[in-house]
Amino acid sequence: MPHRLPSENSPDFSIRQRHRRIFGLTREDAIRAFFGGHAVVAVVVLALITLFLFREGIGFFAQQRESFTRYRQSGQELVDLLREQDRAHAALGRELGELRLRMGAAGAAEFADYEERFADAALPLRELAGELGDIALEAKESATAATRLETVAQLVAQYPQIEKTFVELAAEVNTLAAEWGKLTEASPAANLGAGAAPKNGPPARAREMVYAQKRLRAYVAALPVALEEIRSWSATRPVSQWQVVKSFFFGPQWLTASFWQDFYGVVPLFTGSLLVSAIALCLAVPLGLGAAVYVSQIATARERRLIKPVIEFIAAIPSVVLGLFGIVVLGQLLRSLSQVPWLAWVPGFPYAERLNALTAGCLLALIAVPTIFTLAEDALGNVPRAFKEGSCALGASPMQTTWRVIVPSSLSGLCSAVLLGLGRVIGETMVVLLCAGNRIAIPDFTAGLGAAVQPVHTMTGIIAQEMGEVVPGTIHYRALFMVGLLLFLIALALNYTAQRLLARYRLPTL
Amino acid sequence: MKTRFLHGLRPIITTGLALVFGTALHAQKLVIKGSDTLGAKLVPVLAEDYRALHPDVSFEIAAEGSSTGLAALIGGTADIGMSSRRARANEQANGVAKGVTLRPLVVCYDGIALIVNEANPLDSLTKRQVEQIFTGDVRDWAALGGGAASAGPISVYTRNTASGTYADFKDLAMKKRDYAPTSQKLAGNEQIVSEVAHNRNGIGYVGLAYIGAPGIKVVAIEGTRPSKESVLAKAYPYARPNFLYTNGEPEGEAARFIDYVLSEAGQQRVEEIGFVPVR
Repeated sequence: MPHRLPSENSPDFSIRQRHRRIFGLTREDAIRAFFGGHAVVAVVVLALITLFLFREGIGFFAQQRESFTRYRQSGQELVDLLREQDRAHAALGRELGELRLRMGAAGAAEFADYEERFADAALPLRELAGELGDIALEAKESATAATRLETVAQLVAQYPQIEKTFVELAAEVNTLAAEWGKLTEASPAANLGAGAAPKNGPPARAREMVYAQKRLRAYVAALPVALEEIRSWSATRPVSQWQVVKSFFFGPQWLTASFWQDFYGVVPLFTGSLLVSAIALCLAVPLGLGAAVYVSQIATARERRLIKPVIEFIAAIPSVVLGLFGIVVLGQLLRSLSQVPWLAWVPGFPYAERLNALTAGCLLALIAVPTIFTLAEDALGNVPRAFKEGSCALGASPMQTTWRVIVPSSLSGLCSAVLLGLGRVIGETMVVLLCAGNRIAIPDFTAGLGAAVQPVHTMTGIIAQEMGEVVPGTIHYRALFMVGLLLFLIALALNYTAQRLLARYRLPTL
Repeated sequence: MKTRFLHGLRPIITTGLALVFGTALHAQKLVIKGSDTLGAKLVPVLAEDYRALHPDVSFEIAAEGSSTGLAALIGGTADIGMSSRRARANEQANGVAKGVTLRPLVVCYDGIALIVNEANPLDSLTKRQVEQIFTGDVRDWAALGGGAASAGPISVYTRNTASGTYADFKDLAMKKRDYAPTSQKLAGNEQIVSEVAHNRNGIGYVGLAYIGAPGIKVVAIEGTRPSKESVLAKAYPYARPNFLYTNGEPEGEAARFIDYVLSEAGQQRVEEIGFVPVR
C-alpha cells in the first residue's frame, strides 16, 4: 500500500516501482476514486429523488387548503351535508330492499309499495339539495371571497326551509317505522319465510324484521343530530392545517374530474394496495419459504440444479406480460372456478367480476416468489455449518435439524426476505393496473374474507392511470406526487426494517 | 489492413448517414394525442389513408383519453389533440397561461351507446334508470324490474378520469352527479366491451363504433336505439360532437391533415368506421 520508497541511497532494494501520476493520483488512487465516485453518484441521485418528490408533493397541502376554503365559502359543504343525509336515506332504503328480495316473491306486494314510499320520503330533501347546489356552484365560480360569501348568504337564508324539510322527513319516516312494525306482525310472508331453505326458517325471518325496525328507529333518532350540524355550520370558519392533512391521509374518497368538488383521500388506494399485497403474501410466503427450505436443506444436487434456476427465471418475466396473462386467462379461469357448485362454501364465491383483487394478488404472488425464495435460500445458506454438524452429531435426524435448528437460526433472514417481497409487491404497477379492477372505493370488509374478490384500486395504479391527464403544478398533479411520496416512504421503511432485522440478528461466523 | 477494412465499410456508413439525414430533412411528423374514442380506430385509419397520399408524413398517435390530449397540446408535446368533449374552463385558462389557445374543430358526431351482456333480458332503459344505475342509487338488477333471471348486483364499467366520454356521460346522462364508488374504471372502449361481454351482470357505455362486438347487446333509451340516423336527427339523447383541438388556427401539415379529415373521402371513412359524419 505505501508508495513512498525508502531512500534511493539504500542498497538493499534493487526493484523500483515506477508510479505514473495522472492529476496527482496514482493508478490505484484513480481506480479507487472512480468506483467511489459511482457510489457517491448513487447516493446523490437517491437524495435528489427524495428531494424532488418532497418538493412537488408538499405543495399539495397549501393548494388543498385553498380548495377547501373555497368549498366552505361557496356553501358546497352545507349542500354536501344535505346530500349525505339523502345518501344515508338511500342506503337504508337499499337495505330494506335487500331484505324484501331475500324474502322472495311472497313478500313483494306489500313491501314494494312501502319501499317506494320510503324512497319518496327523501324527494323534497333531494330537490332542495339540488336547488341549493346550483346556488353553491355559482358561488364557487365567483372570483373573490367577498362575492362568494354574498351568494352564500342566500343559502343561509334557506335555513328555515331546510329545517322544515328535515322535520317533514322525520315525521314521514316515523310513520313508516310504525307501519313496518305492523307489517311485520301482519304479513304471512314474514312469519312463514316462504320459499326459504330450512336453516333460514321463520325465526331468522322474524329476527331480520326486528333488526330492520331497530335500524329505522335509529335513523329517525339521528336526524336531529344531522340538523344540529347543519345549523351550526358556518361559511367563515377557517380551514385548519390538520383538517387538510387529515383529508389526505384519512380521507375515504378519491374523486377527481368532478363537476362538484374533487376529493383526494388516500385510504381507498392504501387499503386496495394492502389487500392485494396481503393476498399475494398469503400465497407467496408458504411457496417461497417452502421452496427455499427444500432447495437449501432437503433437495439433492440434481434437483437443486433444476429447481433453483426455474424459480429465479420467473423473476425474468416482464410484469406487463403477466398482467396480460391475468386479463386474458387467469381472471376468466378463477371466475369459472368460483362458479363451480361444490366450491360455494368458499367465502366470496361465486363472484361476477373477472378483474379483482384475487386475480391481481395471484399474479403478484408469482412475482414475489422469486424474491422471497432467493433471499430466504441465501439466509438458510448463511447458517454456519457448525450448527448443522453439531445437531447431527448430537443425534438429531435431518428433518429435526432443519426445523429445530437451521430454520429458527435463520429466522431474521427469512423475515427480511418476506419484508422485501412485500416491498416488491407493494410497488408493482402494471399487474395491478391491468388486473385489479380499478374500483376506487374502500373494499367492503363486512363480507369478511369475501372482500378478496372485490375489485380494488391501488396507489401505484392510480399514479399510472392518472398521470397522463394532469397538468404540471395543479392540485391533482401534486396529489399524485403525495401518493408517490407515501409509496416511497413505505418502501423505504420496509427496506430499512429488513436490513436492520438482518444486521441485528446476524449470526457470528464460526 | 486497417485502411482496407474501412474502405469496405465506407459505402455502408454513407448510406446509413444518408438515410438518417434524408429522412430527417424530408419527413414530417404529426403528433396526435388524446381521446380513445377517436384514437383507437378512427384516427389511425385516417392517418393510414393520408399516408397513402403523402408518404413522407409520419404519425405518432397516442390514445389515452381526451384529458391527456388537451394536456399534451397545452404542454406543447402534441400538434393535434383529439377530444370527445369540449375543453373545460380551467383547461382553457391553463392554456392561456402557457400561451396556447385551444381551438376546437368538429370532425364527427358520436352516440354513447349503453351496452349490457347479451344474456341480460333488459331491452330498454329510461333516462332516470340510467342515472340511478351509474350514480349508484340502484345497485341490483332486480330493483329495475327485469325479471328474476337478471337478479344480482349491477357491475358498472366506466372509462377512467382521463376520458372525454367519462365527462360527457356525466353531463348528458347523470345530471353532472358523480359516478358510483362501486364503478370500475377501465382504460378504453374495447376493454369495456370485453368485460361486459364476459359478465352477466355488467353494464357499460361505449362509442357507436364499438357496438358490433359479439357478446354484448345495445339498450334502447326510452325507445330510441343509437344509430347514425337517430344521432343526426337528435333523437338519441346521448349524442355529442368529437373534436380535434389545435393551438390557434391549424398550420402546415396539421392543417392539411384536418382538411383531409373534413373532406369527402375522410368523412366517408368516418361513416365506414361507425361514427356519424359532419355533413
